[in-house]
Amino acid sequence: MLDFLQSLSDGLLFGSTYALIGIGFTLVFGVMHKINMAYAAASIGGAYSGLLVLKVMAAAPPALVFFGAFLGGGVAGALVYVTCFHFIPLRSPLATLMSTVGMLLLIDEIVVHVTNGMPQNYPAMFDDVMLRAGEFTLRGDLLLVFGVAVLCMAALMLLLYRTRLGLATRAVSQQPVAARLCGIRLERVNATTFIITGLLGGIAGALIGASVGTLSPLLTTPLTVKGLIVTVIGGLGSIPGAIVAGLLVGGFENVLQMYRGVTERDLYVMLLLFVFLTFRPGGIFAPRGGRD
Amino acid sequence: MDFYFGLAQIIGVHTLLGLSAYILLLTGQVSLAQAGFYAIGAYVAGMLTVLGGWHLVPALGASAVCGAAVACAVGFPALRVKGLMLVIATLAFGEGVRLFFFNFDYQIAKGDLKVGPLGGEGFRQIRFFPENGWSTFEVMLFIWVFVAGAMALLWWFDRSRYGTVLRAVGEDELAAQSVGINLTAVKVSAMTVGGAIAGVGGGLYAHYTTHIEHSSFNILVATFAIAYPIVGGLRSVFGTLLAVIFVQGFLIEGLRFLGDWRNLLFGALIVLAMNLRPSGFLGTGRRA
Repeated sequence: MLDFLQSLSDGLLFGSTYALIGIGFTLVFGVMHKINMAYAAASIGGAYSGLLVLKVMAAAPPALVFFGAFLGGGVAGALVYVTCFHFIPLRSPLATLMSTVGMLLLIDEIVVHVTNGMPQNYPAMFDDVMLRAGEFTLRGDLLLVFGVAVLCMAALMLLLYRTRLGLATRAVSQQPVAARLCGIRLERVNATTFIITGLLGGIAGALIGASVGTLSPLLTTPLTVKGLIVTVIGGLGSIPGAIVAGLLVGGFENVLQMYRGVTERDLYVMLLLFVFLTFRPGGIFAPRGGRD
Repeated sequence: MDFYFGLAQIIGVHTLLGLSAYILLLTGQVSLAQAGFYAIGAYVAGMLTVLGGWHLVPALGASAVCGAAVACAVGFPALRVKGLMLVIATLAFGEGVRLFFFNFDYQIAKGDLKVGPLGGEGFRQIRFFPENGWSTFEVMLFIWVFVAGAMALLWWFDRSRYGTVLRAVGEDELAAQSVGINLTAVKVSAMTVGGAIAGVGGGLYAHYTTHIEHSSFNILVATFAIAYPIVGGLRSVFGTLLAVIFVQGFLIEGLRFLGDWRNLLFGALIVLAMNLRPSGFLGTGRRA
């Protein structure tokens, strides 16, 4: 029972990174009705660029590295928007799907090229802190991951529901044509969404690097798949859905990893997805009207 | 010369993979499950020739049937959801198949060595071609017979009433439904045909490489499968062939002299191609 609770809580804490990645997919889907397959790769790319801080200043504190990853993620997001979305007509969903896949491969290769294919150590904070309650422990670095993720989500919610930019973003996601008639510049909102999701992704990538201990381009594929699964389970376009589903998937996979081992773990995550697709295809928080 | 025959083999098998996605793309559905059907075909054909001692041709037939059956079974639940949800559902299915083979052991002793799939280590010793003394050239011809067959079949579909129905569903589902087209039947049948083609492709792949493992059927393969028809354009089957030659012949083999930089250029050229020709090389320019 204790083992169960332990892996559940570890999984839930780590699941907050899945939630962040899921939010990124969902936000882009919300405003453009497209999937940005390069998102997880761009996030990992952002996390890598955080390591540049260590190159410049060897003794930089981890917080500075995280900030570098945050900014790097934003730049990567903007880059993905310009190369994969801006010039391709909205009517060609297949073309953007393909171009973002191309971008995914490109970012992966740039990372491999720059690091010579070696996984890089990633600095962690509070990794020596352990909260204990009898046998039950909470790892300090995972708590930090969770805390930062919650902060990011809170900031995003404030941005979306308390600022003019957020209002414009929500307007575009509800009715692009009407939003345009009200004088909202569609391109600008789209570009800003990519930058915001990129910033979030950079943080998510850094958090993953910090809690795993190393960063490797091999992380992008599983992260893309998990992020997409989280998006579907939560309901495409729903931010609270992505948060709940991220925690759910994180907890679920960690518990199954304990019972069934690491090789079978992801098989059950896929099964979980199919259960949702069959019984609740709209996701936990299906958007009203169900446009897709 | 064997190098070019080998390249032609790769192009042939990948064309089959691309064609399996092509027919489904005609109905407007993007499926990332093709790598799964490809994997099923590869393992079924490999197990039948190695463990069952079958000849390759009936084994490929069995691959096609298995691929089609699984595609049909997956098609019903998966095609309930549309568009991007389908992309993710099929992606999860493909990964599920890969993870299944990652955990799949079935070995029997044959002579003094054990053969058969062994989980993460993969399935070695699929030696039908070398055992029967086929040269690279003969293998290439054998593969291209199937490619030509699949292309002819799909080309004929395109000319027939069935092709028109497929494209009608792809253009506008609501309009197609309102003229009495059964959407589920059309989509599931396209999925089934695609599954059969991918199954044959997988069976051929298993035999020319002689070694398959779960990582040969990852997401990258699934994205390649949809990349060929999208990059080539959906106007005709030749677009897919052209895209396979472009990707496998030019991007992967032709740029080998660039060494390390080739991989970098690969992604960039795909991004560039989609920016310049959003509807593919042989696209109409009007629709995606």
